[in-house]
Amino acid sequence: METGIVIVGVGGQGVLTLARWLGEAAMAEGYDVRIAEVHGMSQRGGSVEVHVRIGREVYAPIVEEGGADFVIALEALEALRAYRYLKPNGILVVNKRIIQPPGKWYNLNDTLDAIRRSGIKTYIVPCYDIALELGSVLYENSVMLGFVSKLLGLSMPPSLDENNRKAFLRGMSLI
Amino acid sequence: MRLLLLGNEALAYGSLAAGVAVATAYPGTPSTEVLETLEEFKDRFVYWAANEKTAFELSYGAALAGARALVAMKHVGLNVASDPLHSAAYTGVEGGFLIITADDPWMYSSQNEQDTRWYGLQAYIPVLEPSNPVEAYKMAKDGFALSEKLKHPVMLRSVTRVSHVRAPVEIEHPAPPKWGRFTKDVKRFCLVPTNARERKKALLEKWEKIQDIASEYIQTEGSGDVFIVTSGVAYNYVKEAVRRLNIKAVIVKLGIVVPTPRKVADIVDKSAVVVEEGDPVLELQLRSLGISTRGKLNGYFPKFGELDINKVAMGIAKAVGVPYNPPQPPRPPLEPPPRPPVLCPGCPHMATFYILKVATAGLNPVWSGDIGCYSLGINMGQQDVITHMGSSVGLGSGITVAGRHFVVATIGDSTFYHAALPQLIDVVGKSIPILIVVMDNSYTAMTGGQPSPSRFLPAEKITEALGLPTFVIDPVDVKRSIEIVKKAVEIVKNGKPAVVISRRPCVLMAIRKARRLGVQIPKYQVDLEKCKSCGLCYNLLKCSAISKRPDGKAYVDPALCVGCGVCAEVCPFNAFKLEGRKEIWLEIWKQA
Ligand code: SF4
Ligand code: SF4
Repeated sequence: METGIVIVGVGGQGVLTLARWLGEAAMAEGYDVRIAEVHGMSQRGGSVEVHVRIGREVYAPIVEEGGADFVIALEALEALRAYRYLKPNGILVVNKRIIQPPGKWYNLNDTLDAIRRSGIKTYIVPCYDIALELGSVLYENSVMLGFVSKLLGLSMPPSLDENNRKAFLRGMSLI
Repeated sequence: MRLLLLGNEALAYGSLAAGVAVATAYPGTPSTEVLETLEEFKDRFVYWAANEKTAFELSYGAALAGARALVAMKHVGLNVASDPLHSAAYTGVEGGFLIITADDPWMYSSQNEQDTRWYGLQAYIPVLEPSNPVEAYKMAKDGFALSEKLKHPVMLRSVTRVSHVRAPVEIEHPAPPKWGRFTKDVKRFCLVPTNARERKKALLEKWEKIQDIASEYIQTEGSGDVFIVTSGVAYNYVKEAVRRLNIKAVIVKLGIVVPTPRKVADIVDKSAVVVEEGDPVLELQLRSLGISTRGKLNGYFPKFGELDINKVAMGIAKAVGVPYNPPQPPRPPLEPPPRPPVLCPGCPHMATFYILKVATAGLNPVWSGDIGCYSLGINMGQQDVITHMGSSVGLGSGITVAGRHFVVATIGDSTFYHAALPQLIDVVGKSIPILIVVMDNSYTAMTGGQPSPSRFLPAEKITEALGLPTFVIDPVDVKRSIEIVKKAVEIVKNGKPAVVISRRPCVLMAIRKARRLGVQIPKYQVDLEKCKSCGLCYNLLKCSAISKRPDGKAYVDPALCVGCGVCAEVCPFNAFKLEGRKEIWLEIWKQA
């Protein structure tokens, strides 16, 4: 297996943590992992993009355009931005949430419809709604982690605390 | 123990395995986590210094006394430390001295792209270049040994895609810290001209020796008649590109790039493809060794930005004459909107900018900015010039002097101590009429909240001691603050400098504290009946939790609002209503 994953969202959504959890899970299975993070300025409420490469022997830390097996988006508009990374047979996973960008107003359902009709295999996952149900928007990324772990055939990373485990299991149960 | 470590964390653990005793830094992306990791180890001297020069001096002094010491900074930070850097090679050191610099190709979080390897060449300091976190660990550890063997400072150049990449790294236990005692040696340590001349001769001899030692860090792999010379993060792309292009090549990877070892000329047969991240520092040195190169100098690889597999594969394919078809990126069904970095919802700087805008209305000020979170005031049209740490007061003074402008210099507390203190003396010396605004959020917040000197030395103590009229405001108290700032504006209009200190801790730190204490953070919502679509909140205040709905009314994203209440103070129609209670929250915030 050699898998290129691009994880995106808006600064503050826990994109980095989600990537690290995935990496830990893959490492626990004996894979080599590279996670290219962004810090600092690029994180302040702006677009965040983290690359994860998993395989037997990985060198390059970043995924090239047209080279990702998976794009995981914690926010719908960011899914559009990371779209260019997808392979033609790649899979897009999108959280059912929109964070309004400065300036123009975007409608969540219209945006998701456009993505659904785009021809790429897409999963739309209500991570935000489930996280609120569980008590805090903070669990959004662990719900997503559960969902994509199921897709990727990875297990729960060891470092999750109790609330995040709950969220993880809810995410897993969605497929 | 095998851990999934960031390159910067690996650098810290490698240094611990080498027995580092003194570690200093000034925070800056992408270098910050080196010291953050070391902070956990209480048996060492670990310190966030006022700036990179003072950090460098602390560690350099410790290494002169025989301790193992490191200093870490981002590429532009090395400019600040460049004065002692150039003397360090002349005196050499007694204990291992590792200078870690992290470059930022593509400027994800920086004002320029500077390649710090040039400094190695200029200052006669050898430069190690790790390609990944595993090598970062090993090179940090070896770097101390090398430095101590040579009695010479050693630089380690990282880049974003080494510092901020995670990979599994095997780490050992930390070695006990190695401290030292200073032994006097005036001829060596006092760089007065007669001594310095002798040291320069010795330095040039040492440099030859270092060039030979650099040969020990060459790794070659593969076979074929194409030679690819590379180093650092670029090596990873070369590995995968060669695999993808399916060509036969000898990959020559250098661990020490400055000085480039002469031995490379024996390995490569007259001509080589050169792949490196940053400027053609390696390529130029290879040319000076008589090797003909295909690299950045003759356009095979881009001269700016960062490399990736595609760029490297494309360059090698062209240099070698094989075909390569890069993958075609698919186009999204809708164009994504731009989403630039913005001030966090509830950021005290947002309120400060609003207050300043209102208090200076009609004066058409020049906004002289600085490096830190508040440079995001650019989104509010309140940053006209930002060039380096301390530029706000320094350049702002120049702009004032040149054109009789009304200049507002906005600077954060950490940056104020880092780079504005000498400038203040010039402001006083010539009584330059400028409005200096210290945006004091009590942390170096952009890099994740390192302590700033404002936590033990309030800025007004300094400005008052200098005789500058000083006003302190709390920016969430919008209306009152506007009245106070107007007084400062009057002073500047009358031809004298004035200072406003706007104090309220970083909201992210406050949220962390409230969560720890289990205190609920209140929210505001818009009463659509009352909202008259005036746009004051989303056009002028620009809180990123507030958007403009299609009907022109305001909308607050409940997951983003942190209940600062500034919108409620700003709205002329009382349309924001509070959900929850805010007194305890505001108090916790103030103490954060
Ligand atoms: S300031 Fe008040 S009235 Fe004006 S748009 Fe905002 S909420 Fe509506
Ligand atoms: S209270 Fe108002 S200004 Fe403060 S974060 Fe919430 S929406 Fe933004």
